[in-house]
Amino acid sequence: MSHPKDRREFLVKMGIAAGCAGLAAQAGASLRSLVPNVSYDAPTTVKLGMPGDFPDGLKYLPDQRLFVFREGNVYHAISATCTHLGCTVRAEALPQPETVSVGGKPTRLTHRFLCPCHGSKYTGDGQNVAGPAPRPLAWYHLELAPEDGQLVVDLAQEVDRDFRLATV
Amino acid sequence: MARLARKPTVAAPEAPHVHSRPFWSLRPRSDRESGDAVASNFLLHWFPAKAMKPSMKWTYSFWLGTASAALFLLLIVSGLPLMFLYIPSVERAYASIKDIEFVVTFGSWLRSVHRLSAHLMVVAVALHLVRVFFTGAYKNGTGRGQRRQWNWVVGVVMLLVTLLLSFTGYLLPWDQLAFWAVTVGTNIAASVPAVGATVRELLIGGRAIEQPTLIRFYALHVFVLPALLGILFVYHMWRVRKDGGLAGGDREALLAEAAPTAVAPGKTYTLLGVASGTAPTVRVASLEAPHRTVNAVPDLIRRAAIVILGCIAVLSILAVLLPSPLEEAANPMITPNPAKAPWYFLWLQEIVTDTTVHVGSLTINGAFLGGVVLPGILGTLMALWPWLDRSPARAAGVWFSPERRTQNAVFLVLLLLVLALTIVGTFLRGPYWDFYWPWQSWPEIPARI
Repeated sequence: MSHPKDRREFLVKMGIAAGCAGLAAQAGASLRSLVPNVSYDAPTTVKLGMPGDFPDGLKYLPDQRLFVFREGNVYHAISATCTHLGCTVRAEALPQPETVSVGGKPTRLTHRFLCPCHGSKYTGDGQNVAGPAPRPLAWYHLELAPEDGQLVVDLAQEVDRDFRLATV
Repeated sequence: MARLARKPTVAAPEAPHVHSRPFWSLRPRSDRESGDAVASNFLLHWFPAKAMKPSMKWTYSFWLGTASAALFLLLIVSGLPLMFLYIPSVERAYASIKDIEFVVTFGSWLRSVHRLSAHLMVVAVALHLVRVFFTGAYKNGTGRGQRRQWNWVVGVVMLLVTLLLSFTGYLLPWDQLAFWAVTVGTNIAASVPAVGATVRELLIGGRAIEQPTLIRFYALHVFVLPALLGILFVYHMWRVRKDGGLAGGDREALLAEAAPTAVAPGKTYTLLGVASGTAPTVRVASLEAPHRTVNAVPDLIRRAAIVILGCIAVLSILAVLLPSPLEEAANPMITPNPAKAPWYFLWLQEIVTDTTVHVGSLTINGAFLGGVVLPGILGTLMALWPWLDRSPARAAGVWFSPERRTQNAVFLVLLLLVLALTIVGTFLRGPYWDFYWPWQSWPEIPARI
C-alpha cells in the first residue's frame, strides 16, 4: 500500500527525469550536427606529369607535399609530412651523395629531411634518425597512367621501402 | 539663495526597497548610504558592504584578479569592433586582417589593444594563480562552510579557458602562424590512442584544415569560450564573497581569537561611588569592527577603478607603441623555419620536442606524451593540490608561510621549469628547431626549396 506522498514524489522525479532526458537529447542533437558527415577531401590519386619531365634526383611537389625521386628510369615517392606533428619537412642537400641499400636495393641518397617545427631529422630514404619523429616518412605507391603514361601517386597507399617504379 | 535652495530638504523617506535616485553616491555621507550603494546598484552588488583592510593591501593580492578581469573586459570591448571588420573565411580572413591593419582608421590600434590585452591576460591570470598558490589562498581559514578549494579548481579551469581563447584567437588571421598552429595543435589531439583521429576530425570539421576549421575556431573564439569564461568569472567572484572574502582577511579572525581581550579600563558608576577597573565588559570579536574594515563604497571600488582604468590606460598607450605583427598568408605547402608558437605555448613546444621515447620496438610519440599526458598530469595536479595540502588553517592567506615551505618549493621548481623551457624555446631555438646560443648567428637557409 503506497502512500499518496510517495506517488507525488515519484511523479516529481519522473517529471525531472523526463525534462533532463529531453534536454540531453536536444543537446545531443545539436552537438551531433557538428560531426561532419561528408569530408570534401582532395583526391588521393594524383597525376604528377610525364616521368621524363622529372629531373634526376629529387623534385618537391608542394601541392601533394611529396618528394619524387628519379634515378635513371627508376622512381619512388616519399611524403614530406613529418610523422611527429604534421609539419612539412624540408630537403637539405648532402655535401656528398652516398649510395646505400634501401629495402635491399642500392639507392643514391642526395638529401636529408629536416622538420622546422620540432627538429626531427630523417635520412634521404625517410628513416627517422633524430628528434621526436616516431616513424619514418611514408613511401607512396607510384604507377604510370595507362591512358597517357603520366606518373600517378596514390596518397592513400603506403608502400614498403623496397618499392620502385621502373619505366622502360 | 540658489545654493540654499538646492540643499537637501527633509523629504518623505523612501518606501522599503525603493531607491529613488537614478544613481548611487560614490561619496556616501554615511555608512547607510555606503551600504545602500552596494545593495541598490546592480554593478556593485557582488561587492560586500564592508571590506577587510588586509584584503585591500596592494602587496597582498597585487590585484591580479581584478587586472585579469579588466583585461577580459578590454578584450570584449576591443573585440566587438573587430568582429564587424573581420571575415571568417579562408579566402578573405587574411585580407580582412590586412585591411584592419592598413586601411581601417584606428584599425591597427584596435587590433593591437586586442592582441596585447590577450598576451597580458595570460600573464595576469598566470600570476594570479602563482599569487594564490604562494599565499595559500586556496585554503580554508577558520570560517565554517568555506569551500575555497573549489574556487581554486574554477580558477585553474579559467586559466585553461584563457589559453584556449588565445589559441583560437591567433588562428583567425589565417597566416602562417595560424595555419601551422592549428596543424600542430590538432595533431596533438590526434595523437591520443583510439579516439584521437575522431577528436581531430571534430575539431577541424573534416580531415583537412579548411573553411570548417576556421569557422569552428571563430565561433569558439567570439562566443562559446568568452561566454564560458564570463559565467565562470561570475561564479568565481560569487564564491570569493561566499567564502568570506580573500584568505588574507581571515588572518584577522585568527588574530582576534588569539589576542586576549583585556578588561576594558572603564568606570562603573554605582550608587556608592566610582569603582575603577571592574567594569563588566562584553568581549566582542566582530570581524566587521570599524577599525578592521572600510566601506566598499568608496574605498574598495576606488581601488578597483584605479586597477581597471590603469589597465585601460597602459594598454591604450602600449597599443600605440607596439603594432601587431602579421605573418605571411597561410601556405599549407611550406612550414616556416623555425615555426614557433606564441611564447606562452613554447614550453609545450619544447616538451613535445623532447618526449618521444623508444622502449625496445615500441615508440611513444612525444605528441602524446608531452602534448597530452604531461600537461594533463600537471593540470590535474594543480586542480587537486588543495586536497594534497595538509598545512593548518593558519597558513591560509600568508605569503610564503613556513608551514607550506615544501609545497612552495615544489611549485617554484615546476614554475621555474616551465619558465626555463619557455626561455629556451623563445631565445635558444633556431632553424630546424636546432639549439643556438643568442650570440650564435643562424645559418642562411633558403626560404624555398
